[in-house]
Amino acid sequence: MGNTMAVADMEAVVFPRVEEDVLLKAEGLNLDVSIGGKTCRVLRDISFTLPRGKTLGLVGESGAGKSMLGRIISRQIPAGFSVSSGSLMFDGEDLLQASARQHRDWLGKRIAFIPQEPMTALNPVLTIGQQFTEHMLRFGVPAAECEARIIQALEEVLLPEPAALLSKYAFQLSGGMCQRVMIAMAFASEPDLVISDEATTALDVSTQAQVVRLLRDLQARKGTSVIFVTHDMGLATHACDEVTVLYAGEMMETAPARNIFQHASHPYTRALRDATPRLKGSVIPLKTLEGQMPGVESFADIPGCRFASRCDYAAASCNAGVPERVSVSHGHSVRCARYAELETLTAEQHSSSGTHQPGHAFSARSVLQASGISKVYPAANRRQKDKLALAAMDFTIAPGEFIGIVGESGSGKSTLGRMLMGLEDLTSGSIDINGKTLGNDEASWQRRISLVQMIFQDARSALNPRRKVGQLLTQVMDSRPHQRLERNMRMKELARDVGLAEQSVQRYPAQLSGGQRQRVNIGRSLCDLPQILIADEIVSGLDVSVQAQIMNLLLELRREHKVALVLISHDLSVVRYLCSRVLVMKNGEVIESGETEKVLSDPQHPYTRQLIAAVPPTDPDAVWPGASFTDKEAGVL
Amino acid sequence: MSAVYPPAPASTGAVPRLMQQVWLLARQVLWRLPMLVMVSLIVFIILRAIPVDPVTMLLPPGASQDDIDALTAQLGLDRNLAVQFLIWLKDAFTLDFGTSIQNGSAVSAMVADALPMTIQLLVCGFIGGIALGLALGLLTFRYRGTRLEKILLASNGVMIAIPDYLWAIILIVIFGVTLQWLPFLGPVGANISIEHITGFLMLDSLLTANWEGFASAFSHLVLPSLTLSLVVATPIARMAYSSLSEVYREDYIHAAQLRGLSHNRILLHHALRNASLPTVSLVGVQASVIIGGTLLIESIFGLPGIGNLMIKAMRSFDMQVIQALALTYAVTVQLVNMATDFALYKLNPRLRIQS
Repeated sequence: MGNTMAVADMEAVVFPRVEEDVLLKAEGLNLDVSIGGKTCRVLRDISFTLPRGKTLGLVGESGAGKSMLGRIISRQIPAGFSVSSGSLMFDGEDLLQASARQHRDWLGKRIAFIPQEPMTALNPVLTIGQQFTEHMLRFGVPAAECEARIIQALEEVLLPEPAALLSKYAFQLSGGMCQRVMIAMAFASEPDLVISDEATTALDVSTQAQVVRLLRDLQARKGTSVIFVTHDMGLATHACDEVTVLYAGEMMETAPARNIFQHASHPYTRALRDATPRLKGSVIPLKTLEGQMPGVESFADIPGCRFASRCDYAAASCNAGVPERVSVSHGHSVRCARYAELETLTAEQHSSSGTHQPGHAFSARSVLQASGISKVYPAANRRQKDKLALAAMDFTIAPGEFIGIVGESGSGKSTLGRMLMGLEDLTSGSIDINGKTLGNDEASWQRRISLVQMIFQDARSALNPRRKVGQLLTQVMDSRPHQRLERNMRMKELARDVGLAEQSVQRYPAQLSGGQRQRVNIGRSLCDLPQILIADEIVSGLDVSVQAQIMNLLLELRREHKVALVLISHDLSVVRYLCSRVLVMKNGEVIESGETEKVLSDPQHPYTRQLIAAVPPTDPDAVWPGASFTDKEAGVL
Repeated sequence: MSAVYPPAPASTGAVPRLMQQVWLLARQVLWRLPMLVMVSLIVFIILRAIPVDPVTMLLPPGASQDDIDALTAQLGLDRNLAVQFLIWLKDAFTLDFGTSIQNGSAVSAMVADALPMTIQLLVCGFIGGIALGLALGLLTFRYRGTRLEKILLASNGVMIAIPDYLWAIILIVIFGVTLQWLPFLGPVGANISIEHITGFLMLDSLLTANWEGFASAFSHLVLPSLTLSLVVATPIARMAYSSLSEVYREDYIHAAQLRGLSHNRILLHHALRNASLPTVSLVGVQASVIIGGTLLIESIFGLPGIGNLMIKAMRSFDMQVIQALALTYAVTVQLVNMATDFALYKLNPRLRIQS
């Protein structure tokens, strides 16, 4: 494995057959931006080849620059950015040199994009038919044939009743349906290249699996090349032929997709892998990556490897200069100065991994007991029916117990969380805390909020941007102005508890990173030492490495403060890592519940099995997505 | 250019759909009626609260107490205030607003005579203003990032600070007095006569093939309409520009660009309709201010519309006329609001279709 090849040979190695028809070829692409007089290299030396009919995955955390390539191709790089050198050959012509007219002509015809947010990517005041027709007319379909061709395209993406869809607006469809419309539109012109930027991130897991399957089917049939941008390494393993891992604008590792997980060679790729919770196999503690990715403005000050500051194996040589890309094996290259020594170094580290326990109850006695709670939203007018959000159910939680509630959007999982917190009225049933039933009076509310607290999903919008971190952490003490000294002490304790530096209490949320903001968000709910935390999707929007930090923090808080957690999540791997018990919900009903390991290893309900099957496995040999789905299944979405 | 698909009918079948539309329209009218009654009541009370006695204004200074009592009884002013209002309301439903104390003629006839002038002014002013405002907003946005954008934005900032009567004076000074291009006093030229058919001067002159009269009526309407247009256009231009800037940050615009659509196509087909939603709402909100503005414009340009009538009525405390005109203004505002509501309903499918 130690034999290193010269970089010049690299391109030939990545996709082995030289005679293969190359569609897109980037060579030494550099993207610069000028910040405060300094030139910062946002993307450094991006080189790859993408053959026809293949998929290149771009994997990385937010800020890695993985969306920038798509923006270079679409010429939508932000103001101030410019490609300073390199070439980007698209089917023999330089995309960077083409005239604006020529370039615009390619967009939509030969190069198509699938957006991240399908619901907002469709114009809300135009029907699907109007937008699709406009697109068809642009690439030269005669007006008379448009309708038939559109219906055919919509059939290809397995949308039920495509003819009826034409007169619908985006808001009448689900996210999965909108994304399938976008895919149908992207492939309608039989483009050479499709760029999918996080196209499945906003979708439910089972919808994600179907969308990936569609994408691969269409690609195979039409011989399209795809650039697949994602933050999910497991997904990239199955959706791509080749994967490139980006960190701070640099290609750290490029490998055949099936190798990226099991034969990760770069320390960063390994860190990503070790921070990803798994759905199968033994649960081991996730290793967290300390610190955060350097920002664009500091790139100019890093002479060497951009990952060095967070790398466990960094040595002085790492900062001496930008490391060369070296070949690991056929089609697998890595940019690491210490790659040759890495094998021996990691062997020492690996022996230290211990065992992991999710949040089990400390005692059998329950803290909170809900019996027969249900929620019905009354109809807005007489023509509509009442909407059942949650069918009558019982729920108990014990001290220190971590319970996961999983299900897709609209399953009622968030409603349950909000009812437990008291943000929604109960249609029926009652909730007891420590044996006393909660009423609707002010005293009950005070008792409730002293024992139950909610962690909101989006830390950015949940924290008032005009208040300092210290005040935010101790927000519940606003009503006790006489306790100023206590408050000042408490904010420092809380900052320490959630792993923030003490000085950070003087900062504003905007000055923190996403992970730090989520820590403040969690710390705030801990101020009055509640017994139960209700967390709605608090780790789903975070990068893998930050997600691991937050999950370990939650387990630590459990050990220290005996706090229990109701975790609402769509991510089964996260639930497996944190929760000892799980509730699977669908259409407002709990369809399966029990010990997490048991439910996941031996699911009883077909829906649970479907949920588990929809998660891209980390094993590259597993077949994912599964067998092609039926029209009936498609109709459910 | 593109095929148009009708929106999905909320209920199947043509007849139920028509019924539904009729019901929607009826509901629009019905819930506005109580509002009009409330406006009338408020005006009614205010007019009675002002310490002016119409009876003493009508009678010669030396009138006897008997005369006063007789007239008071004749006008119904001796009765309970609530009864007075109910009588007025009952008559109002048959479009009988009583007689003017200025000249004893029927109020409804006076209003009907004056109304066409104001309607002409309003229609021309609104259409011109909306067109001008949208054009300016689009132009400013189309040339964003250039010097033209800065100039247009700066001039919009200045224009927004100019009130309607000042516009009138500016236009009169430039086009009427200095350049002498357009007349600025009265509804038509002094030696022009137009046969009275509908009361709308331009329409009547067309119907009687009176080309000279049409040209005169038209040229007399240009400056007042332009004044109103400028008042309407300035906020619309600003709103259209800022809405477009916001819409251009939306994903669907980005997606349209990625499909290779031309700039103009994206601007006019994808962005404008979305950006027009807040703009149309703005017109609805501003309707009362704009319609109120016709009062000054009519009096500056000497147009015999209901604005002029109102000013005369206020000078002689002609309660019946004031009361009727207040209701007329309220109805006009409600009509404009209905029109903007309807436009929003047509433009925004979310209002039409329950998801």
